[in-house]
Amino acid sequence: MKYLPLIWSGIWRKPGRTILIFLQVSVAFALFGILQGMKTGVEHVVSQTRADLLIVHGSLSQADPLPLGLLKQIEALPGVKIVIPVDIFGGTYQKPSEKVFMVAIRPVDGWLDAFTYKMRPEVSAALRTNRTGALIRKELVDKYGWKVGDRIPLQTGVAQTNGSNVWTFDIVGIYGDDDVGSGGGVILVNYDYYDEARVVSKGTVNHFNVDVSDPRQAVAVADAIDRRFANSSNETKTESLRELAQSQMQSIGDLNFLIRAIVSAVLVALLFAVATMMMQSIRERTSELAVLKTLGFTDRAVFTFILVESTVIFVAAAVFGLLLAWIAFPLAARFVPGLSMPWEVVALGLGLSALVAVISASVPAAQAARLNIVNALASR
Amino acid sequence: MKFFRQLFAILRMNLAGLPQQLGSSLTILVGVTSAVGVLVSMLAMGIGAREQQLATVRPDRIILSTTGSRLGQGNVTQDEAGIILGLPGIKKNAKGDPIVTLQSVVPLEGRRHVTNVRIYFPLIGITPNVLELAPEIHLTAGRMFRAGLQELIVSNPCRRQFVGFEMGDKRPLHGTDWTVVGQFDRGASQQCVVYGDVKSLMTLMKRNTYSEVTVLLNSADDFAVLRDAVNANPSLHLQVQHEDEVIEDAFKSLNAVLNFVSLFVGTIMAVGATLGAVNSLYAIVDSRRREMATLRAIGFSGSAVVTSVLIESILLALPGAVLGTLAAWLLFNGLSASPFGFSFQLAVTPPLAVIGVEWALLMGLFGGLLPALRAARMPITTALRAT
Repeated sequence: MKYLPLIWSGIWRKPGRTILIFLQVSVAFALFGILQGMKTGVEHVVSQTRADLLIVHGSLSQADPLPLGLLKQIEALPGVKIVIPVDIFGGTYQKPSEKVFMVAIRPVDGWLDAFTYKMRPEVSAALRTNRTGALIRKELVDKYGWKVGDRIPLQTGVAQTNGSNVWTFDIVGIYGDDDVGSGGGVILVNYDYYDEARVVSKGTVNHFNVDVSDPRQAVAVADAIDRRFANSSNETKTESLRELAQSQMQSIGDLNFLIRAIVSAVLVALLFAVATMMMQSIRERTSELAVLKTLGFTDRAVFTFILVESTVIFVAAAVFGLLLAWIAFPLAARFVPGLSMPWEVVALGLGLSALVAVISASVPAAQAARLNIVNALASR
Repeated sequence: MKFFRQLFAILRMNLAGLPQQLGSSLTILVGVTSAVGVLVSMLAMGIGAREQQLATVRPDRIILSTTGSRLGQGNVTQDEAGIILGLPGIKKNAKGDPIVTLQSVVPLEGRRHVTNVRIYFPLIGITPNVLELAPEIHLTAGRMFRAGLQELIVSNPCRRQFVGFEMGDKRPLHGTDWTVVGQFDRGASQQCVVYGDVKSLMTLMKRNTYSEVTVLLNSADDFAVLRDAVNANPSLHLQVQHEDEVIEDAFKSLNAVLNFVSLFVGTIMAVGATLGAVNSLYAIVDSRRREMATLRAIGFSGSAVVTSVLIESILLALPGAVLGTLAAWLLFNGLSASPFGFSFQLAVTPPLAVIGVEWALLMGLFGGLLPALRAARMPITTALRAT
């Protein structure tokens, strides 16, 4: 501990150089934080999604509709608490580029248990009592300036019985959603109104959301549902929200290779740059180090000083860099959902920074330790 | 003239002294190499994806779908399809029938070879005149599907990437088996696409509307004629779009992600490399303090010193651009990627190499600026006295 001032003065011997190294390491670890945050953050979020919320869709794919009639049969299965029909359709608001996404649900009592949406009970009740009502996600309030009481006309690909493709909904409430998989612009509307007013595909749903009474039995219930409809004309495929999130995230798997390649390129360049800088610094300090040794500091002590010096700069810079990454997340989150920095990334970053510091400083530190007092002082 | 003589003299001296500054020179080189390498390979993703998206685009092929709908999710009614057949501007085939294909898209789930990862591909139910619409499709094995039967033809990328697309393979759809009877290539497209008879598919899926209708025009100039005819007909709720518009729309978010990632990451890497270059050049300049001061003392101008350091910095950065681009090309060119289920190959193209060189120039310039000024501003007397 008493050597801290010594190390500290070593760090600030050339402030310009130290600051540049600090910035360089910070930049590298900001990049590391963002890339790794994408990867680990997404994995982290997947593990947080609900495994006890089941989605029942057609066996072919997620776009394979099922008849609404299956609802009663699924409800009758043991372990099923509530079944909510869901249909989805896309549309645009005012301009073709402004896409919104409608989720039609049936807001019966307890329906929220089968979703990840967050809202106050009176908001849910408002949707139930308003056939043409719609709940908008918080993000849409900022995006389009919508508020409760507004009527919003949406151009869609779904024809109504009145011949128009424009659906008009009354905003009756605002809700939040903490699920990563869902996009920002989701509008909730009444399934029964939607199904009655549309021309084609009447009486079908995109999928059913199922909440189970005992979360531990979720897998068994999922199997039971699929078995119930096996070999019928409406075979189903039931998956938990977590399984769906997993498969969604697998599709970005190819990016992992790229992320690893970038992170390694960054670290190699950094290692190289810092090792040269430290060597340069040791060369310049030859005489000072010789004086230290003359005063009785051992080779090992000098070696340690140099290592600690670079480790301090590196770890401090890594902390700063990860902080920068964390600040940049809201920007990146617009493009990549589920960005977050769990402690694993921070720990990995700090560990890596210490490792790079030790590796890059060990050669110069060994040089310093091997320094011969007489020669070093004589060359002055 | 005197300026240039001085400049060349300093440059020669500096460059001759570089081997003694091997570490610092290499730092600049390695830093710039990795920054350019990363930037170029990231951009190569965007370029590759774009090339792939637009691989099969033709200006005279037009897609009609329900107004406001997304790719493959329209609801074009039978009545609307009937009206489209009689619209002006549409090319006729040898028999005099308009080249209009009716499509119904069903996304299906596939499994990758080896990894067994789930991936989606479109099964496009289409009228059997698809070959008139897309003459770039040519069968490499088997034959065309027959109308009314449950037969599929699959693109070769399907066979390569996913299981279950060999000739004769059967795919169960709602209790019926669909057989693969043909395999085809479509230009340079790497996408897995499966075609089957639209009527059979719609019967099976209990659908009565088409997802979209694609037509071939007499010439690309007839677009306006067709669009005006559609807009003038009150019983058509359709949007008329070029293929590239539809693709642009469908891939907007993927492209945004790719562009954001490449530029964002590329910029950060460049900032890091520039900082490294600044540091190294400071070290190089510092080690030459006495030479520089001597030169200034015998009358060399400060501007010649500044310019020489800048040029040196750029000269050190440029090989980094070449090496970085080369590394990106060796490692990633032609590499297949399929993030978000869209397959494409990374393409390291000459314009990308130019971008790499430009970035290296910038990094060299910015990296050299401060050290160059320092070299020129150093007081002669102190510099000469320094060890």
